[in-house]
Amino acid sequence: MFPSYIQNPQNCSFEGQDTDEKILLLLRAHPITNIPWIVLSIIIFFIPFFASKITLFFGLDLNILPQTYLLIFLIINYLLVLIIVYEGFLNWYFNVYIVTDKNIVDVDFHSILFKNIDVAPLRNIEDASSSMGGILHSIFNYGNVFVQTAGTGQNIDFISVSKPHQVTDFILDEAHKIHGGGN
Amino acid sequence: MPTNPTDFFNNSYVLFFIKAATLILLVFYAIFALIIIRQVDLMGKTLKTNVAPVVKILAIVHAVFAILLIFLALIIL
Repeated sequence: MFPSYIQNPQNCSFEGQDTDEKILLLLRAHPITNIPWIVLSIIIFFIPFFASKITLFFGLDLNILPQTYLLIFLIINYLLVLIIVYEGFLNWYFNVYIVTDKNIVDVDFHSILFKNIDVAPLRNIEDASSSMGGILHSIFNYGNVFVQTAGTGQNIDFISVSKPHQVTDFILDEAHKIHGGGN
Repeated sequence: MPTNPTDFFNNSYVLFFIKAATLILLVFYAIFALIIIRQVDLMGKTLKTNVAPVVKILAIVHAVFAILLIFLALIIL
């Protein structure tokens, strides 16, 4: 439903895209990187089922609290679950790496209201490398891609993307096309 | 002198403190929910996809719910 590796995406554009610029590759972090917030939200989801037993362990019976307070605490608990899931999804979905026929774009939302967009023209790309280490990375085939640009321009890193070796190859092929070298 | 927990929660000052703390928490949550609308708007403008409008509607519904919850807490607590 929400793939992390999309070639030639349809109905998709980004801020600053030229009218004649075409998105060739849209990448997100591998879905497996969402596991920490999913686990956290599951744990918080089940807290109300065990809360009274846990507090009883410390000698405090929650049932003596008025029911209205318990209801509000229950709603707050599930709001917390909702916001963890929602923010987790937003951060995953909108933190993208884009390869167009002109540029490489790295869109980062580090926190609420903080946006960082790195753009490197394909013609400035000097080197691209990928790394994949660890059990999860090997099983699910994801890793990092490092794109080195010419001059003092900022290098672009794709973190935890699917099929890193394929992405590296794709970027270099596109860069060679710009330089007129073909594949 | 040891205090019975039942007496502790029947104390009106304690309940008032819990109510005030809950309301303050909910007000901060509502502010946070409003900020999320702005965040989603910013994200939707940066990456335009079919999902962006749906996510924005969810953010607005969530903020409305967060504000309504303050009133609910004010009424029932």
